[in-house]
Amino acid sequence: MEARGLVASYGERRALDGLDLRVPAGAVFGVLGPNGAGKSTLLSVLIGRRGIDGGEVRVLGERLSPGLRRRVGIVFQHPSLDPHMTVAESMMLQARLFGLGSAAAAVRSRELLATMGLSGRANELTRKLSGGLRRRLELARALLPSPELLLLDEPTLALDPDSRLALWEYLASANRAGVTLLLATNDVAEAERYCDTVALIDAGRVVVEGAPPALKADLRRESVRVEWKHAPSPELLSEVAGWDGVGHIRASGMTAHVTVDAAAVFLARLFAERGDDVRAIHVDPTTLEDVYFQAAGKRLHGQEGTGWTE
Amino acid sequence: MDGVTAVSALVMRDLRGVARSRSQLYSSILFPLMLLAILGNGVSEGLDPENVDDYVTFLTPGIIVMTALFSSTFSSATYYSDRDTGMLDVMYASPHPSRLVLLSKVTSSVIIGMLQALAVLAVAAVIPAIDFQWQYGVAPSLAVALATIVLLNVMLAGMGQALASRIGSMTGFHLVMNLVLFPLLFFSGAFFPLEDLPLWLRILGTANPLSYAVDALQLALWADGSAAQFGLAVDFVVLGALTAAAAWLGTMRREIA
Repeated sequence: MEARGLVASYGERRALDGLDLRVPAGAVFGVLGPNGAGKSTLLSVLIGRRGIDGGEVRVLGERLSPGLRRRVGIVFQHPSLDPHMTVAESMMLQARLFGLGSAAAAVRSRELLATMGLSGRANELTRKLSGGLRRRLELARALLPSPELLLLDEPTLALDPDSRLALWEYLASANRAGVTLLLATNDVAEAERYCDTVALIDAGRVVVEGAPPALKADLRRESVRVEWKHAPSPELLSEVAGWDGVGHIRASGMTAHVTVDAAAVFLARLFAERGDDVRAIHVDPTTLEDVYFQAAGKRLHGQEGTGWTE
Repeated sequence: MDGVTAVSALVMRDLRGVARSRSQLYSSILFPLMLLAILGNGVSEGLDPENVDDYVTFLTPGIIVMTALFSSTFSSATYYSDRDTGMLDVMYASPHPSRLVLLSKVTSSVIIGMLQALAVLAVAAVIPAIDFQWQYGVAPSLAVALATIVLLNVMLAGMGQALASRIGSMTGFHLVMNLVLFPLLFFSGAFFPLEDLPLWLRILGTANPLSYAVDALQLALWADGSAAQFGLAVDFVVLGALTAAAAWLGTMRREIA
């Protein structure tokens, strides 16, 4: 999938604002960003649910068209099953929508349902399945037409840890079988753990892109969380932001998140100069959240805070 | 060929949904028959209209039109349940143009509406108190009634789908449908003959698409030629034109990709 200068607007607001992205075949590629960054809009464009206002995009070497969707599967963020249909009927509807022959579809449907642990539930109405099983069924349905590219819009949202793990095992298996996975998520741990490459997006643009370990290595910063005895004043935060080796600061209530070149150097100065104001400190391992913070100047999930940058 | 398979799969899904919803299935048949019994007897016995000899039989074509009207409204509203369950996204993510998805919704709506209207017609035909005249002969009159029911349902399904795909919420859809459809039904000649009304109401009745369906059905089932408002030829020309326009509107959607 290759997008160049992609623009998509909702009225005055640009959900995609000149997005450039290239997803290599066979990758597990993550698009990571906060809510409203443009992730779902990107997927909507790729399946033809919404048009673009600028730029160009090619999927599997083709321009977007209804016929192209035969090669692209999607698991939506929101539930997308008919509650009045059974598991088997849901699969067969997908087969007929994608023009699969009945015999071949029945065989593949049985295989996929067995893989997803749904064989024994084939004749149950989908509304009687748990959230995790419904997700598995949606994945099985998306894989039924053997897509070359599978779009995943926060596929593990609201799933318990066991269901998440199970779902990712199925996804990894599909990827090993040659399916390219494009994941839109705001789950940092998931992106770090499962994606070969991630593109961090903010306000409809890619702010940084690369393999998670490389992105974190390039950060060369540690993340320090400072809990103050009292809510820090803007003057105090400005003072700390001006110290050597301090990157971004975001304050929220009585806590400040600070990225620094070296935690030891920063903490020595903090206790020497402002030790009386500090209640506790935490030094956290660097995550993609910190990468995002540094690249975009704000947190992926987060409460609104006051940010200072070097 | 893939398109035909997809449409038939989506239509079967909608039909299965209705078949599994017993309350919808039964009420869609029982309500018109109940109305026919209560309103028909109430008016003919209680009000004793002088210009309609057999009010229950007169009312039957109007009740068939009403059945199609309510059915198309209900079927068109499944657009919203499909949207809310995410099924509409699944359909649009299939390798078919959006119009084909809407075509399947209109087709389902037409089939469901026709089956319900025909069920009411069939039950009415065997009720002794209802005395169909079959003025063109039973088979030709039945053919006229069937053709009218088909055209009427395509027109209503197209109109309902056109509105459903353009109105954001189901509440808004029902409000608009009620605002438009109830007046259409009342001024269609379904419950009282148009010719005895004041001029302004007759003008409204003439501008009302449903009036032509009611007229054609009354000609086929109830009356002789002298009772025609417009005549079969005019009825079918108007219904045909409106049906084509509504079907086009109901399946029109800007293709994105």
